[in-house]
Amino acid sequence: MRGAKRRAICLLALLLALGGWTSAQDESPYFQSAAFNVPILAGWENQSGAGIAQFHNPAARATIRSAMADGADAPAAAAADLAGWQGLSELDAPVYSGKVNLADGTWHVLAYDLDEGRSASQIARRADDRFIVISFLESDPASRTLMLAIAQADESLESPAPELDSALQQVTPLRLAELAAAGAFQQPGGDWLVYHSETARAAGSIFGNDSYIALQTGSAGEQMALGDFLALADAWQSTALGFFITPDNSLYLWLGVAVSLLMLLTLIGSFAWRARGLRKDLAMLEKLASADAD
Amino acid sequence: MKTPFVAAVRAIVSKDLRAEWRSRELVSAMALFSLLTVLVFSFALELDKSAREAVISGVLWVSLIFASLLGFNRSLSLEHDQGSLDALLLAPVSRSALFVGKLLGNFTFTMLVALMLLPLMTALYGVNLLDGWALLTTVVGVFGFSAIGTLLATLAVQTRSREALLPIALLPVCLPFLLTAVRATKGILGGAPQSEWQVWLQLLATITSIYMVLCLLLYRFVLEE
Amino acid sequence: MTQLKSDSPLVASPQPRLLRALTMLTALGFAGCLVLGLLVAGTDIQQGQVQRIFYIHMPAFFGAFTAFGATVLGGLVYLWRGSEAWDRIALAGVEVGLAFALINLLTGAIWARPIWNTWWTWDPRLTSAAVMCLTYAAYLMLRAGIENPGRRRSLMSVYGIFAFVSVLLTLFIIRIVPDTIHPVIVGASPQNAQGSFEATSGVLLALLPSMILWLTVMPITLMWHRYRLALRQEAVDALKLKALGG
Repeated sequence: MRGAKRRAICLLALLLALGGWTSAQDESPYFQSAAFNVPILAGWENQSGAGIAQFHNPAARATIRSAMADGADAPAAAAADLAGWQGLSELDAPVYSGKVNLADGTWHVLAYDLDEGRSASQIARRADDRFIVISFLESDPASRTLMLAIAQADESLESPAPELDSALQQVTPLRLAELAAAGAFQQPGGDWLVYHSETARAAGSIFGNDSYIALQTGSAGEQMALGDFLALADAWQSTALGFFITPDNSLYLWLGVAVSLLMLLTLIGSFAWRARGLRKDLAMLEKLASADAD
Repeated sequence: MKTPFVAAVRAIVSKDLRAEWRSRELVSAMALFSLLTVLVFSFALELDKSAREAVISGVLWVSLIFASLLGFNRSLSLEHDQGSLDALLLAPVSRSALFVGKLLGNFTFTMLVALMLLPLMTALYGVNLLDGWALLTTVVGVFGFSAIGTLLATLAVQTRSREALLPIALLPVCLPFLLTAVRATKGILGGAPQSEWQVWLQLLATITSIYMVLCLLLYRFVLEE
Repeated sequence: MTQLKSDSPLVASPQPRLLRALTMLTALGFAGCLVLGLLVAGTDIQQGQVQRIFYIHMPAFFGAFTAFGATVLGGLVYLWRGSEAWDRIALAGVEVGLAFALINLLTGAIWARPIWNTWWTWDPRLTSAAVMCLTYAAYLMLRAGIENPGRRRSLMSVYGIFAFVSVLLTLFIIRIVPDTIHPVIVGASPQNAQGSFEATSGVLLALLPSMILWLTVMPITLMWHRYRLALRQEAVDALKLKALGG
């Protein structure tokens, strides 16, 4: 008996080891945590820690970070997360504040100008009793880069131009008409429509009924390559869209296991029940036979 | 010496047809029942000229299958009760001839009902069910479920509560016919290109042939010895 | 009294050693597969924990396939040879297969609630799986309705063969009717499948042993027990007849 137990434990350990080995074999393209999952940005430096997914692009001096935060509402939680992350005692009012409705809920969209030429763009939404905050931080003193998402004013339109114009108007002194159209560029996450001038760039991509927008302003002659700018925009958009929370549905799993066990037990129980009936019948027959014999 | 196959089949079919011609019980009951089914569906689903082809072809096939259930049950019950099958079994007739004979009888009765339903539904719902392809689909489909229906009705009459058990036994086994026939009819009614619904008709014909072969092989086992 | 017992050696015959070994193997294997599916395999980050139901859901269908296949085989051999043993196998196949098919159907519904947001939808594959269960329920009803044992055996052999159409239909309906939302794990999923996931090595590690167990050992063991029950039933029935006859 003890031997059987030991064997069972050995077998279990072997199984667990085998499982650990194979799960190490499967490379997931996602940063996974108990709270959320985000795509791992290829080519970016992975600075993630426990519960925080953080990817850094040294060349562009940009960081994309996803974390959970506390606060009274989404903007407060986003501000608290940004202040805590950057060690700021207080933040100025956001230069942009809006909302978009995505498949998984309402996200607040915020943008801040920080000191030393840094700027931050954030989206945040409620998840149970906390908030999810996804931040884009850029610390290049030569330029100011903001990432926004705006619901389309006209959903039948396949161009993000109206939202680009309204975004430019709200966070820069520019209008879209002052920029020249540079065409559409394909990125892994989607197609970006680009407008530019010597000092400014605006790129927009439509997903669902929302326009994802990247704006960059800076001094003339110091612009980064267009490809690098679009790569930043695409990384931001794919983080925002690729973010998801693993649903907690283990109750359904246990229900399923319980129902399966119940079904099997019913089958075996019905065998046993019928066998018992037969034994009773047999006993009765034997009694009858012996009564007859008497 | 055995009676030749064709002669035996002809004898059984003509016996059934003559009996039916005298009483007109079976076909009139089936026809009335299928009419009622169509009417019940029309009221329940509020069908009119704007009804979709999918719904109309579904109603057509369900009505046909329901009516045929009535017919199969009745035709085989009569044989069972009057003991005429036993008499046939004593005669030197091959079992498959018996099956083909009963099948052709049942097929004829169900087809008569179908030939009444097609123009009626054409008039009621403003669709063209009198199209050659729709007719071909009906013939193949009715033949298929008449085959399995004849076999299962022979089986069901030997059970304790035969009227209740035939639908229970037949409906699930009929599903492949219903599925393919409804799809084919829907495509034909909707005026879809032939390439789109032809595959359903081919599938229906394939299933019918498979069932036919199985029934021919297995029929002798469901006959009472 | 002793006379009666020796007349019916099957009434209390001990289990053969092979059956006992198979029963042990089934119990241990079932527990092991549960551990693999529930603890060892990685959590699917898109679907969450409920995805693990799949490690029961799909093997249960294939277990039913084996059992219903045994019914067809039993029916064919019975019709050919007339040996009652094969009819017992056919009946055992229906009972075990029906239990497995119900497990398949119920676990599918429980999985669909969080993933498709509904317990049930009239998808072609779900419908045909339900029809499959009803077909075999009809088998049991028909069987109970035929009194003459000889007639019962041959009629039910025929019906068991036809009933298998519903199993094949469930298996192949995705190829016939492509507008299904039911995912296919091995091979390409239909275009509008919802709730697919990748068959990574972790998934296959948990799935393969479970598949092998449900396809072979589990239905065979359960059917064997059911077969022995049928034997005992027949022995007791014969004894009853004898007692009644004096």
